[in-house]
Amino acid sequence: MKRWFSNPVLASELKIRMRSWRTVLMVVGYLAIMLAIAYLFLTASVRTMSRYGGVNISSNLGLQLYMILAFIQFMLIIILIPAQTAGAISGEREKQTLDLLLCTPLSSLSIVLGKMLSSMSFVLLLTIASIPLFSLVFLFGGIAPMDIVTLFAFYLITAFAVGSIGIFCSVLFKKTSTATVVAYIVIFALGIITLLLGTYMMSEFLGRNPNFSSVYIPFPFYLNPAVGLSDLLGQQSGNTGGMGLPILGISSAMYNANVAMTGSLSWMAQKLGIWGTNLVIISVISVVLLLISAWVIKPVRTIHSSKRHSAGTGVN
Amino acid sequence: MLVVEDLVKRYGKFVAVDHLNMTVERGHVFGFVGPNGAGKTTTMRIAATLLAPTSGSVRVAGFDVVEEPIKVRRKVGYMPDFFGVYDNLKAIEYLDFYGASYGIPYKERQKTAEGLLDLVGLANKRDTYVDSLSRGMKQRLCLARSLMHDPELLILDEPASGMDPRARVELKNILKELKNMGKTVLVSSHILSELSEMCDSIGIIEHGRLVVSGDVRNIMETISGRLTVRIKLLDDMDRAINILKEQPMVSNIFQEDDVLEIGYKGKDEDLWPLLKTLVVNDVPVISFSKTDGNLEKVFMEVTQDEEMV
Ligand SMILES: Nc1ncnc2c1ncn2[C@@H]1O[C@H](COP(=O)(O)OP(=O)(O)O)[C@@H](O)[C@H]1O
Ligand SMILES: [Mg+2]
Repeated sequence: MKRWFSNPVLASELKIRMRSWRTVLMVVGYLAIMLAIAYLFLTASVRTMSRYGGVNISSNLGLQLYMILAFIQFMLIIILIPAQTAGAISGEREKQTLDLLLCTPLSSLSIVLGKMLSSMSFVLLLTIASIPLFSLVFLFGGIAPMDIVTLFAFYLITAFAVGSIGIFCSVLFKKTSTATVVAYIVIFALGIITLLLGTYMMSEFLGRNPNFSSVYIPFPFYLNPAVGLSDLLGQQSGNTGGMGLPILGISSAMYNANVAMTGSLSWMAQKLGIWGTNLVIISVISVVLLLISAWVIKPVRTIHSSKRHSAGTGVN
Repeated sequence: MLVVEDLVKRYGKFVAVDHLNMTVERGHVFGFVGPNGAGKTTTMRIAATLLAPTSGSVRVAGFDVVEEPIKVRRKVGYMPDFFGVYDNLKAIEYLDFYGASYGIPYKERQKTAEGLLDLVGLANKRDTYVDSLSRGMKQRLCLARSLMHDPELLILDEPASGMDPRARVELKNILKELKNMGKTVLVSSHILSELSEMCDSIGIIEHGRLVVSGDVRNIMETISGRLTVRIKLLDDMDRAINILKEQPMVSNIFQEDDVLEIGYKGKDEDLWPLLKTLVVNDVPVISFSKTDGNLEKVFMEVTQDEEMV
């Protein structure tokens, strides 16, 4: 763990970022916008509700606010991280600084990780800074502190996954502009394709098993953090929120009863929930992408064991 | 310190380095000279573990660049021909960053960085942002960077290119200082005269092959010999070489199968006594001609002024 924090690539970039006034301004600006949205939502809701003799204001309102904030924060991660990470390695190449890094004893994996974390640092900072804002929801009840911790763990892993796709593109493509475009296309195409494919598989399954009463989860859903998020929010809101994946035929009610699940990885989903399984799958994929990235930028790759002794360690 | 053995590097079918052999002695400043595209950068990048050789081997302080790249990296300071700097870093932070990358503890690397800024004459730019430094200053800063981990071998790729004469004198002084510090230096250029004053020995490379290498004075002498003469013999190579060695005007002798290529310090009309000597001594000469030999062509190219390249 200590080695992570002492990664010089990360340390240097954090130092540069954190001393810039722009960073502070942008964090403040982002929080102000989030706060303004919360305020507008609350005043608008309170006004409509009081007009119709509103009941049950508090917990439902808090829940809705929570979901709005959660959604905005999620979109922020999905939209900003590809742009930030896709330039991480290709930018070093364009600036002609990559060679200078590669000829140090830093391993290529620590270079890749350092570049990824440092290029994501701004978005992660925004995410962390928004935690206090989320606690506004406590005023209304309906959400427990633990829910927020879980949500932010979900964000972290999602950010990691999106970031590893960005880094992977940055390693594969020489130009930052190409890497950025490809990263966005991949991420949004993955989002849409997994959703469509999953939905299709589901309807086909239900067509084949008309009397099926438990829950079937197609594999593509586990690849899509948006599915994971709506499942997580659905679970956290219990039945009242009406979120979850109702359109897809999955209801978060299944977390309350012991509903049997089928489909790929249903054993895992039974234990960790759909969102938990989703996190496991995207973590595995991002670790693989990062390992490949590290392998690709490694200038001299030895296929055979590196433990082989060189003939002479003497000095010339 | 640096031993290159039978090094080959191909880019697809193109052979950039072709069975290159050379040795740089510990403590020497070795000038690596050759026209553009000769394979200098390729060779240096392989020695800096930034490129894998196709075949052959390169060893630095006894460590093979492919087998033990990390150990080689700790021994080598590399300054590329083209490089960039990070914006938003001050000169001292720039050095500190690379020091950290080599795992040097904070206090130690701060001290080293201050000392190196002094060495390259940038002590007064300590807190200047690196992207606002002039090109020459960036180059010196990059040189300081390559010294952060106290490497034994410095690989400097065309450090003098784009420098004005004054900066070149400074570079020469810095190299002298490095030599006094006991560093071994491999420095490249496509202009021979640029290096001849700063180096102990020189290797000339063309089309990925080492054409000639050795003590800088010997080589300069060879070059000042205006003529290259090709002598083809039927037999008796060794005897011919011995005879030629005794001729005061003959500066260098290269043997290639049954052909001798010699550097000859003299005018055209001085050639016939040479031929006469050979014939009188019963050397079976079957051809004797003045040429634009390989060597001469290379010398012409590498001794040109920069503007002409
Ligand atoms: N990545 C590459 N792909 C293909 N050819 C290359 C590559 N790098 C260098 N070359 C070719 O290899 C030759 C040697 O290049 P280089 O080592 O840079 O020469 P020098 O540094 O002596 O000018 C040149 O002809 C160059 O075009
Ligand atoms: Mg070059």
